Amino acid sequence: MTERSRPRVARLLGIVAYLEDNGATPFSELADHFGVSVEQVAKDIEQLWIVGRPGGFADDLIDFDYDAFDAGIAVITNTQGARQVRLAPREGVALVAALSAMVGAGAAPKAAQTALEKVVAALGEQTVTVLGTSDARAEIVRDLTDAIGRHVVVELDYVDAGDHRTSRAVEPHRIVTIDGGPYLECWCRRANDYRTLRIDRIVTAQVTDEPATTPASGSDGFTLVREYDATICLRRGGRWALEDIPGVVIEDDGELVTATMGVTNEAWLAGRLLSIAPGLISVEPLALRTEVARQALAVLATHGA
Amino acid sequence: MDAATGRAVPEERLLNLFIALTSTRARMTKQQIRSTVYGYDAGMQGGDAKADAAFERMFERDKEDLRRLGVPLQTVVDPADGGDIGYRIDASLATMEPIDVTPAEFAVLSLAVDYWRGAALGADAHQAFLKVASHVQHAATPELPFGARATGARAALGNIAEALHERRAIAFDYASSQSPPSSRVIDPWRIVMVGGTEYLVGRDHGANAPRTFRVSRILGAVRAVGEVGAFEIPAEVPLGGLTPGEIQGTATVALRPEAGHALRLAGTVVGTDGEWDLVEVPYRHLDGVRSDVLALAGAARAVAPPALVEAVTRFAGAAADATRGEVVG
Repeated sequence: MTERSRPRVARLLGIVAYLEDNGATPFSELADHFGVSVEQVAKDIEQLWIVGRPGGFADDLIDFDYDAFDAGIAVITNTQGARQVRLAPREGVALVAALSAMVGAGAAPKAAQTALEKVVAALGEQTVTVLGTSDARAEIVRDLTDAIGRHVVVELDYVDAGDHRTSRAVEPHRIVTIDGGPYLECWCRRANDYRTLRIDRIVTAQVTDEPATTPASGSDGFTLVREYDATICLRRGGRWALEDIPGVVIEDDGELVTATMGVTNEAWLAGRLLSIAPGLISVEPLALRTEVARQALAVLATHGA
Repeated sequence: MDAATGRAVPEERLLNLFIALTSTRARMTKQQIRSTVYGYDAGMQGGDAKADAAFERMFERDKEDLRRLGVPLQTVVDPADGGDIGYRIDASLATMEPIDVTPAEFAVLSLAVDYWRGAALGADAHQAFLKVASHVQHAATPELPFGARATGARAALGNIAEALHERRAIAFDYASSQSPPSSRVIDPWRIVMVGGTEYLVGRDHGANAPRTFRVSRILGAVRAVGEVGAFEIPAEVPLGGLTPGEIQGTATVALRPEAGHALRLAGTVVGTDGEWDLVEVPYRHLDGVRSDVLALAGAARAVAPPALVEAVTRFAGAAADATRGEVVG
């Protein structure tokens, strides 16, 4: 078997339903619509052709027009009552949670809100509630979308995770929701590299007329470089500060938890650790421990303590 | 059919079973399914125990596949027939109603599939997309400059959603921040998303009270336990702990010039104190301002309220203690 059976059953029933709704349809249209190759569509129809009711006589089986099939066109002549089946609870929550994350992040096209409403209505019961609002400002998302569409450079005033405020010219490629947070994938002319910037840290965005010249990165995700691995032991009350760090592994040992993670920004992580300092048991390696100590002493000095 | 073996592939058998059980007048017994539905027969007729066991395994797997596809399988017991269990599918309960989406909404749904790529719900999201696509006429899809992705697996979400739909209790181990990891039995009422973080709200059997759980803190598998239809979900699910609180007050923070940009964005500059800018920041929880001041590593100074000043110095002191002995240069 080259693919798992459930998605293929969903597609096979989808082809039956689509043909019943739309009549004669070229294989190429089915392929485009269901995201498979034309060869796979032909295989799917051959598969459906030998499926049907018990009995096994020719008129018990799903049937297609043979001549049309030879011409690469699907015409269903007997569906045996097969119809697409309703959304399963897991399928429903997969769509609703993803659309909710996008809408909640404030980094989705308008159609996400209406699509979400339609899917929720179709499911007939509310399983998911979305709370809170995004800090991404709608006018900045709109300006970025506009710049992406026109392939032009945007001048950003940006505050990074380390609280550095910078002006940078970027070539914006895509607006992405990552775990409910709004991000901009772009080419940063200042860093001369691809960057994924948090949209809610953009202070101002000035769309220019200067053409963007760098193609979008083919690879997904952050371009942050891991400096080293850290192991942090803390009382479990402070786990909230670490559990949303991408790639973190948390081992729970009752009173204490041990978190291991790749460190991409030492100063930022040390700042996080200060916010749970009373529960901190140990910090490894030495480099991170030293940075925590440096920041703690700087805070104490500022406060005259 | 599999060309190499000449046997029915699983999806062929599954479709035959689906059509047989929707078109049967009353019901089909397991024996009738085995002897008449194409795909179960090959090499499995006769009474030997090995063939029986192979059929049972196959049938159980297919029932699970139908369930996961959202097909409600009804069991019908006929006293006139020796009490044998029979099966049928009510087509009116199983059929997908078309969802009328615009081309733009259809394109957004494909982003929802991308969101779960590589995660436990990825296959479910893809199936959902195929089902919606079945009743959407093909059109040129607009190229959207948007994307979406989840970095965590969230395997628990699917089982929670199923149990919620069936009104069945679930059991799981949970790592709380207040108490050691423990087993919980919960009536799931609602999944709540706050900024991309999923929570479960439901009745905790142990406490006999509503509780909120962070889904990412669930350890291991979520198992459905108990009967289907065992509880009702209250009309008003309590979400109190998850709603953003009211503004509690205003803190005053002194910032070095060119520092504390995030705090400056959240607050208002009200004056200066020597080289420092004074910023007033409204807060919901003082903890948030405390973390912001600490993270600025000396470029921010808590001014008011006194509780903030006390907390900042206490936390910095604790961090210095925890890392004591390191050479700081």
